[in-house]
Amino acid sequence: MADSQASDFENLQIGDPLGPEHRFVGKQHTKLFCAAAHMEAGRFTDDETARSQGLPAAILPGNMSLSLLTKLLTDWIGDSNARIVRLGTTYRSPVITEHTLTLQGFVTHTNSEERTAETDLWIENEDGDRLVIGTATVHFPARD
Amino acid sequence: MVEYDPALIGRVFEETEPQPVTAEDISRFCESIGDTNPLFVDAAAASAGPYGGIVAPPSFAVSFRNGRHFFTFVPRFGSTGFDAGKDVEFVAPIRPGDEIRLASHVKEIYEKTGRSGSMVFVIIRSTLRNQKDEVVAHIDHRFMSKA
Repeated sequence: MADSQASDFENLQIGDPLGPEHRFVGKQHTKLFCAAAHMEAGRFTDDETARSQGLPAAILPGNMSLSLLTKLLTDWIGDSNARIVRLGTTYRSPVITEHTLTLQGFVTHTNSEERTAETDLWIENEDGDRLVIGTATVHFPARD
Repeated sequence: MVEYDPALIGRVFEETEPQPVTAEDISRFCESIGDTNPLFVDAAAASAGPYGGIVAPPSFAVSFRNGRHFFTFVPRFGSTGFDAGKDVEFVAPIRPGDEIRLASHVKEIYEKTGRSGSMVFVIIRSTLRNQKDEVVAHIDHRFMSKA
């Protein structure tokens, strides 16, 4: 689980952190993901195949990056019964396997009428390069 | 300006056969991203949760494959192209026992000029529906080509 969790909507603050979560992603992980997501493994599990397609080495599928950011959100949501309404991702640079990635984000805006929180999210490598960036909207139901 | 047949926009070019969802599929997907959230993998805990049973993690929606015509009908505007990102609207949870089908159409085509030159973006929208014909998600795939 991530190091941070959403509190009740009423206690959310702009700047509240999501994560950070540090995780090593190797080819064994991309292989599992490709099998679970019905994707051809190719450039996601084999460096030579990736290089033949102009990539520096095997990379994470974009859908895996999206899924890891979604997990960052659901970990943050915890047992608050909130739900993700939308998530947008932009793949800025290939995410190379066999590296430790940091996933994190923060709350950028809250809407008390709609009970939603807007968040910025990203995945960065060991050099601090933001390889994948995203935004998400999370809805917190009214309490009974 | 990028040129394309305007009749492309909005026309559904792909509709897949229903793809069944099992608890094992969801469990395998969770394992692949290290997700141990009980709402997704623990039937007893999930039954006491907000959905009354196991649901798939939201990003499970992107695991449904488009059919064989998908890349045939995605317009191409250059020799190189890649997946630039996705926008996903999560409408309803996906549950074990659901049967999900996708319908896809070209939503938008636009051109941008950046530091590395002109780029063409093609947005393909896939709408996922369950066996009750309820929309569970919209996924906008953003493909970028260098013109």
